[in-house]
Amino acid sequence: MIERFLHHVCVELPAADEAAAAARVRLAEKFPRNAVRRMTHLGLLLGSTLDGVPLGPGDAVVFASTFAETRALEDFLKSFPSASPMLFQTSIHPGSVQQVLIGRQQPIARLWPLAGRARLVEHAILTALIEPVERVALVGGEERGTWILEHGMASARSFAFGTLLTSDAVGAAGRARFTPGDGADEACPTLERFAEALAAREPLHWQGAGGEFSLEWL
Amino acid sequence: MTDSLPLELKELIIATLKLQGVAPGDIPDDEPLIGSPRLGLDSIDALELVLAIEKKYNVKIGNSEESRAALASINTLAAFLRPRAPGA
Amino acid sequence: MTAPADKFSAGIEAIDCITPFGDATATTAALLANRRALELTPVLGRDGGDLVPLALTGPMDETLSPRWLPLLKRMAAGVPAAAWGTARFPVMVTSSNFGVGSFYAFTRDQDTRHLQHGTPSSTIELIRAQFGWGEQVHIFSHACVTAHLGLAQAARLLHAGIAERVLVFSFDFVSPFVAGGFHSLKILNGGMPAPFSCGETGSIGLGDGAAFAVLTRERTQFRLEAHALHNEMFHFTSNQPDGVGFDNCAAAIATAAGGRRVWVKGHGTGTIEAGRLEAEALARHFPDAPLTGWKGSLGHTLGSCGLVELAVAVAALRTGSIPGTVGSAAPTFTDNVALEPFASADFDGAILTSNAFGGAHGAMLLGHD
Repeated sequence: MIERFLHHVCVELPAADEAAAAARVRLAEKFPRNAVRRMTHLGLLLGSTLDGVPLGPGDAVVFASTFAETRALEDFLKSFPSASPMLFQTSIHPGSVQQVLIGRQQPIARLWPLAGRARLVEHAILTALIEPVERVALVGGEERGTWILEHGMASARSFAFGTLLTSDAVGAAGRARFTPGDGADEACPTLERFAEALAAREPLHWQGAGGEFSLEWL
Repeated sequence: MTDSLPLELKELIIATLKLQGVAPGDIPDDEPLIGSPRLGLDSIDALELVLAIEKKYNVKIGNSEESRAALASINTLAAFLRPRAPGA
Repeated sequence: MTAPADKFSAGIEAIDCITPFGDATATTAALLANRRALELTPVLGRDGGDLVPLALTGPMDETLSPRWLPLLKRMAAGVPAAAWGTARFPVMVTSSNFGVGSFYAFTRDQDTRHLQHGTPSSTIELIRAQFGWGEQVHIFSHACVTAHLGLAQAARLLHAGIAERVLVFSFDFVSPFVAGGFHSLKILNGGMPAPFSCGETGSIGLGDGAAFAVLTRERTQFRLEAHALHNEMFHFTSNQPDGVGFDNCAAAIATAAGGRRVWVKGHGTGTIEAGRLEAEALARHFPDAPLTGWKGSLGHTLGSCGLVELAVAVAALRTGSIPGTVGSAAPTFTDNVALEPFASADFDGAILTSNAFGGAHGAMLLGHD
């Protein structure tokens, strides 16, 4: 059994029609002025969830997103044949979490950016649980797409979550645990469902990756 | 090219890079454009600016070294453009 | 100072790659013969196209059935049989671009069938269906260090007893989307890349590449014995000017290597600033190690480069000759850059490194009997 304790659990579930420009105004105070100008909606939301969480060069970050920088991708595609360097750079996974940490000028030891869909949440949790360093930030989210969404290739909702996992139970809000076993895989929560569970302090249990995952609140 | 080129370039910079709260008068003619704390522009901004300049003035700025030299300041940028894009 | 390197040894049960030269054996032979896969190829630009160095396995057009799928099938035929994609036999897929070029193809002809493999997850769903993998496919995407992450994670899963064997599967194929993007950054230019060579201007080349490795807890002839990672988070496209990011990662892997006599395969894309910082850092931490790099021939295979070049390194070790830095010439940034092939018998291990946007650094220690 491998477990870590959740500290600082923060979730951004903005209004469905919030655009990046509105998020920039709403969240501006949480970021360096020069950095905000180029941040994407997902970057702003992720950064908001990590506000007040200092990270250090010996820490790790696990980042989970199925579609990542959707709007930058959409706009980059429209910029051809004169491809925009800024949009290209911004569209590259894991740009959003890098926006936050580069804005802070904060080196870290390891960044594990995961993509995927059906089992993304359990792979992200497992990656965080087997990280040897003491402090692991588990973050993730999506931003709402436009024309790509019409084809089912983007998230219909913008959201983000961030939590700090450590081995310290003192003062923890919750616990994430993986217990190896022989059960068959069950449906894994979607990234959005996981964010909602964090926001509502709702427990989750499911079988996957050769064991049982549990999210419990203390 | 007219004497309005420096002003035109400043307006292009503000619009292209979405510099909110910055007016053309806030951008000196002879100070570094990239890397100075006044505007907070970096190399990615420089590349985006190069793209906008290439499109607006129908010129070609070759590699990253040439871009860096042209964008040293408003004055160097104007000096780069004048022989390459005569007329507005 | 970054975290210490992982020292979870994993045996390499099987490994191979595909490049424009062919498999790992053919690719190594071509590199030893100083051949270059890169050719000047037109890429999108305002005036209808610029010529840039690309190493392609075929025309870059985005076909409805992706052009890379037959190549991956061919390579996958060499993967040892197992219940891949199940809990005890998970797959780590590593790529930077997956099938993203298909989105660009869709914008050109509006055929929605292109979109079926545009995102990372939809690309992997296509591949899973083709290869019969289960759902336990972990997908990593961190630009040019991605393969290091897949290999390091595989070693961790083996060490934790969660997996018995792990398949790491890595690929990146050039598309107008990707070439256009790098060209817009003005680092994919008209000159051939010359990794670690002093020059006034630098250029990278891009290449098609795919590779796989099956890792096991069993001791094998070739082993991955340590992994180091570090992220500068200084800037998206440039490194800290004092080279501290390169130093952090190199120091961690040097500690793990102990007093081993190693040669080094660097990242070496052909850019000037990063190339200099990298060469200098590696010379500081491995002063007796020859430094080589193969992107001057193969191009930069982006998210797959760490595993493609590992496959080449293993194939080269089997021959006893390590290819030199193809495409480069003196003067070089440091004296340890190997411009010609050298014998592997003088060494008992190798360090392989990669670097990526955001100041990401990866390094692994390859040991062998």
